[in-house]
Amino acid sequence: MSNPTPRSPGSNWLAFAFLGGVLALIAGLIWAVLAGKLQPPAPVTTEAQATRDLYNFVFVVAAVIFLFVEALIVFAVIRYRRKPTDTELPPQIHGNSVLEVLWTVIPTILVVILFIFSWNTLNTVDAVSPAPAVTVRAVAAQFEWEFDYLAADGQTVQFRQQTPELDLPVGVDVHVILRSNDVIHAFYVPKFLFKRDVVPGLENNFDFTIDPADVNQTFRGQCAEFCGTFHSTMLFSVKALSPTDFNTWLQTQIKTAAATPAPVPSGGGTAATTLDLTAHNIAYDTSSLEAPAGQPFIINFTNNDPSVPHNVQITDGTGQVIFKGELVTGPDHRQYPIPALAAGTYTFSCSVHPQMTGTLTVK
Amino acid sequence: MATTTLRAGVGYRSGLYEWLTTTDHKKIGILYLANSILMFLLGGVFALVVRLELAQPGLQFLTDSQYNQAFTIHASLMLFLFVIPVLAGFGNYLVPLMIGAPDMAFPRINAFSFWLLPLAAIVMLSGFATGTGAAAAGWTEYSPLAQAKYSGIGTDLWIVALLLIGTSSILGSINFIVTIFKMRAPGMTLLRMPIMVWTMLVTSILVMMATPVLTSALIMLFIDRNLGGHFFDPATGGNAILWQNTFWFYSHPAVYIMILPAMGIISEILPVFSRKPLFGYKAFVFATAAIGALGFSVWAHHMFTTGAVYLPFFSFMTFLIAIPTGVKFFNWIATMFRGQLTFSTPLLYSLGFLTMFLIGGINGAFSAAVPVDFALHDTYWVVAHIHYVLFGGSVFAVFAGLYYWWPKMFGRRLNETLGKIQFVFMFIGFNLTFFPMHLLGLSGMPRRIADYDPTAGWNDLNLLATIGGFVIAFSIVPFLWNVFITFRSGQPAGDDPWEGNTLEWATSSPPPPYNFDHLPEIRSERPVFDARHGVSHA
Amino acid sequence: MALQVSHDDAGGHDEEGISNVILGMILFICSEVMFFAGLFAAYFNVRANAPVWPPEGNPHFHLANEIALPLIITILLITSSFTCQLAVWSIRKGDRAGLIRNIAVTLTLGIIFLLGQAYDYTQLGFTLADGTFGTTFFTLTGFHGAHVLGGAIMLSVVLYRSLAGQFSARHHDMVEAVSLYWHFVDVVWIVLFSLLYLVPAAAAH
Repeated sequence: MSNPTPRSPGSNWLAFAFLGGVLALIAGLIWAVLAGKLQPPAPVTTEAQATRDLYNFVFVVAAVIFLFVEALIVFAVIRYRRKPTDTELPPQIHGNSVLEVLWTVIPTILVVILFIFSWNTLNTVDAVSPAPAVTVRAVAAQFEWEFDYLAADGQTVQFRQQTPELDLPVGVDVHVILRSNDVIHAFYVPKFLFKRDVVPGLENNFDFTIDPADVNQTFRGQCAEFCGTFHSTMLFSVKALSPTDFNTWLQTQIKTAAATPAPVPSGGGTAATTLDLTAHNIAYDTSSLEAPAGQPFIINFTNNDPSVPHNVQITDGTGQVIFKGELVTGPDHRQYPIPALAAGTYTFSCSVHPQMTGTLTVK
Repeated sequence: MATTTLRAGVGYRSGLYEWLTTTDHKKIGILYLANSILMFLLGGVFALVVRLELAQPGLQFLTDSQYNQAFTIHASLMLFLFVIPVLAGFGNYLVPLMIGAPDMAFPRINAFSFWLLPLAAIVMLSGFATGTGAAAAGWTEYSPLAQAKYSGIGTDLWIVALLLIGTSSILGSINFIVTIFKMRAPGMTLLRMPIMVWTMLVTSILVMMATPVLTSALIMLFIDRNLGGHFFDPATGGNAILWQNTFWFYSHPAVYIMILPAMGIISEILPVFSRKPLFGYKAFVFATAAIGALGFSVWAHHMFTTGAVYLPFFSFMTFLIAIPTGVKFFNWIATMFRGQLTFSTPLLYSLGFLTMFLIGGINGAFSAAVPVDFALHDTYWVVAHIHYVLFGGSVFAVFAGLYYWWPKMFGRRLNETLGKIQFVFMFIGFNLTFFPMHLLGLSGMPRRIADYDPTAGWNDLNLLATIGGFVIAFSIVPFLWNVFITFRSGQPAGDDPWEGNTLEWATSSPPPPYNFDHLPEIRSERPVFDARHGVSHA
Repeated sequence: MALQVSHDDAGGHDEEGISNVILGMILFICSEVMFFAGLFAAYFNVRANAPVWPPEGNPHFHLANEIALPLIITILLITSSFTCQLAVWSIRKGDRAGLIRNIAVTLTLGIIFLLGQAYDYTQLGFTLADGTFGTTFFTLTGFHGAHVLGGAIMLSVVLYRSLAGQFSARHHDMVEAVSLYWHFVDVVWIVLFSLLYLVPAAAAH
């Protein structure tokens, strides 16, 4: 015959220990809420404010549900402990249809309300303006950020910011276009309560307006999609400037960039040799180039593949990289200044597409 | 309910050879449990490695590359070699017993399914012995990062391991479905089956339909990496997002594969220790089926930030799936109401499950609200969510099930005092580790980073989480000690030490190879309860 | 409490309903359908993202021009499904000779399909590495071929067991199960052939 369930004398204190744990947890939660720790950071864009309002609404609903359900559990644990006087079975209730309907319908209504609020907020956050004040292309590559300030046509690069600092004006609509040169990254600024993936082959974009009250602040940003070995180092910052300061800054940057000519090879009286090289359909238009030995020369590189990054990289016979041109995303072109090379045979290739390769004969 | 008296026949195999060649579902179930717990401990070691490195800012012990391998293998072991197989192990042991069958439908395929798993573990871990290390792009291995250009041979080994595990799962699922539909004892109608069996049935349908899609994704990735394929390569017309869609089409139903049997375990334990039937049996059946079906419609909620997903649909379906889950919660609580609760270790773990899974479900609902997900995706908030549902949920249910069914499996009861000590430390350690991660995620700490900015304000919470991790590790000690002393000199259990309801308690502990000498009359979902209390359903 | 057994013999047959083996094969086929669904989804996705399909650059991508051999082996494979079903009908009547004959023909047609497919691969003029077109073509047809090979192996086992007299009118579950699998493999091919050859041929006119 089977044994009746043993009544171990210690079981009551254990129930209270469990309750103690639950109550400690709830106390911790309440502390965290009051200390503002269960909140996202204070929003600094108008879109972030909408997200923060949505978060608060969901949080209230979540807290109510948690406290209600947990209270039921705690109540059951206290009230319905088996006592020594409980020798008979309790009433063997199998179910209750009314309760089933209630606790299906009410959560459904709750969930629909949450969804509607959420969808509304999404429309605010994802709204894109037809005439943004500033358009920037954020270019992500392992493990760096680069920011291209674009002209109103959305194509011409006015200025390429190669340090990971994104300077922007407050109070006006900013449009960001995302481009990856290799793997998937994500553009994440915690204080924007926002992130968007940077996917190669897909040009994501989004708008935001920084709150004028947050002018002259700097916000940290970080890649938030695991992108390889040094993912944790892929940081950037957003610097909020007043519109006047921003315009001044941008014009200064544009002038400085224009005043610095593309590096012209020095030495030698004659004009530098220029080699033309074009990339199209993930291939160079030639697999052999010739250059004079002992003098710097220029590779005039044209990339005709839209949205595809290419460059020209030169390696010597031992496989050592002598020159690595910056990545160019088509359609675009670049003049690569190549330093003087000793006579010999070199390989030129694209560092993104290793199958694009050819021989550079220097003599 | 007499104990069996039949002795093993002449030439009956015993010892190690028996265990290596058995096709008995009970031994195979125990093999699954043993292998899975081993993987849990190994995955836990990787977790401690991760937490040790993150305790303070700066790289103290690991290189970036080693850290990335550590978190990738931690997750891959835990999800594919612990959680899914341990629940399959419970299913393997219990399903034939609970439906009054002598074994599973295909016993040899059952054995084959098990032995694929240790092989897969060896293949996956062998990545550490290669020059470029084990797989290191996260258990999600997104393309293009997972392509040959960026990831070494460890990724190929990871792919092969998952293909082996997928084969094991799919074959197992077919076994469960045929067994459940075709081998129930007379009187055991579908609506009298224990909820554990229902959850195994729905889980098996999910495994059968979803896992092959992962197989296709893994094969496409292998082809890209090794045969010059272009599925996921944007530069040549492939689509990086295609990987994510195919991967998550499986991996979202996978999380229901990881929780439904755990919910089944809780649904068996609560009624026994409340001395009342499960409240709303039919509602449980419908809710389980609804979760299974809806589970196929939400996969892109892992991809809200990609810019490549129709957001309102997936957000709505994700919110919807909270409803059948809520129905289960209310029914569990109603089972306890007006009951007579005995706080055994299985019940404690079940109560822990209820609280922890509640938190995990609720914090998931935040991410269903798409703009909130824009803030929280790929941060430590998600790490908190997944651990509350998988550890606070599935792992707590696993320990509840181990303590509950150990007497049936081994004929001896685990020591209750040690069990309760384990529970207290595990509960405290778990919350200490994972609750702070909500705060870390909210304040902007991304996932999968080997190191973090010391001025970001994350130092204290990371240290706290590491301390919590070691408390969890400490809680495993009483469990292992408990197992050891119980095997050595645990008290004999008898057929039915807990006054159970379902058929496994109608035979000896452990059962004979053919499971039952006699079956009681089956006229409700509690045949053993009915027999004990002389209830007739004439 | 007398021991009650379900009325089932050692072969796993109930009085009503299909046998365990056949139910198991049906479920296995469902899982295989989902596997191909993943591959097809990839094909459609990659094709929808391409500016033009077949992509420019290789005239051999216009498969409709080389439809003769694939058409022949398609007809052979469809025929083999018929002979496979004839084999099932034979053994249901207890006709062991008919079973052997029809399984042998089915297996032969299956092997010819595989050989024809392999030969066609050498004549195509593009490889798996040739862009998304090559990758999807070879992956889809290649995995289909692998499934045909698996089916052929199973048919060989059925043929062997038939020759050994192991099947009767009452006990021939494996024949039924393998024939279901063979029909599935044929249906997948019909879909593939239509998508890869017939639809482009119709569009070109």
